[in-house]
Amino acid sequence: MTSLGKKTSGSGFTDTDPDFSPISLLEKVRNRGRVWKDLAEKYGVDNPDPPWKINLDSTCEALASEQCTLPVLERRNEEDELSETLYQDVPYPERQLLALVHSMIQRGLIDEDELARRMKFVDKRLNST
Amino acid sequence: MAENHKAAPMVDEVSDFEVLEIAVRELAIEKGLFSAEDHRRFAEFAHSIGPLPAARLVAKAWLDPDFKKLALEDGFTASKEVGIDWLNPTGFGTPSDYCDLRVLENTPAVHHVVVCTLCSCYPRPILGHSPEWYRTPNYRRRLVRWPRQVLAEFGLQIPAEVEVRVEDSNQKCRFMVIPMRPEGTEGWTEDQLTEIVTRDCMLGVALPHPERKLDDKRPVHKAANPVHGH
Repeated sequence: MTSLGKKTSGSGFTDTDPDFSPISLLEKVRNRGRVWKDLAEKYGVDNPDPPWKINLDSTCEALASEQCTLPVLERRNEEDELSETLYQDVPYPERQLLALVHSMIQRGLIDEDELARRMKFVDKRLNST
Repeated sequence: MAENHKAAPMVDEVSDFEVLEIAVRELAIEKGLFSAEDHRRFAEFAHSIGPLPAARLVAKAWLDPDFKKLALEDGFTASKEVGIDWLNPTGFGTPSDYCDLRVLENTPAVHHVVVCTLCSCYPRPILGHSPEWYRTPNYRRRLVRWPRQVLAEFGLQIPAEVEVRVEDSNQKCRFMVIPMRPEGTEGWTEDQLTEIVTRDCMLGVALPHPERKLDDKRPVHKAANPVHGH
């Protein structure tokens, strides 16, 4: 679990420096998840980006618009830092996704346990036959 | 015939990253951080953009001196000629990259190259999504310090007598480059010319070539001497 000492008032702005320490759930995803580069190679697919990349970009855009829950510059600065430290061995765009979720959890926009439960639910749904 | 049709290869497994992306999006919508409709519209916009409008702008500028003058003086108005309205690029509102467009012209004496040292500002409405290397800190840090060396890593050697100008994008201004029209394209139509103006040419890390129509995979190099805070 990460320390959630960076909770905000809903504006998305933190009053302390960002915390770049590992987050348990994201470490699991990082260690267990299969990155698009490997999947594309395995299945002979030549799309440079995974199908979820557009949705990820749109989530970033939507978070920055209107209410400005997570401003672009803050998110990008944190993504830069995390890309060169914690997630430096994760390829793009998987590291962009991890960095975004890292920033969201840190700000208290989503809760790590709640996200873990939702992931189980989504996983079951996507793999249902 | 149906029996001869071979399906294109597809990834037939669900990755944890895919699950994570969906879970985060669903929770954000449930919490009211944004609406499903907002997200759908941004996704639709993101699906629709690419470098083609900018390539057409360049081709038009190569063929029409008056249009080139307009593009260099007023990129905003020139963009409308290729279907891009910077005031309302998505058709429903302004994404984070709403801004002013500055069009730069390469000449035998000056070569322009574009960067965003601060983050990854990019003229998305007219040029599509930024390539991965454009976002990397090492490109952003090093281009402003050693432009010729970084361009050489892209395979672009700029002669010493040609001045290299690095344009730094920001929240208000985005840039694109009109490269010099290559030899061997005399008599070509606008459509033909549009095909050879690749994204990289309009960022200034490549030159157009009559036989080159795709943006190749570019190498990503780690900074040997990273400069933190820049």
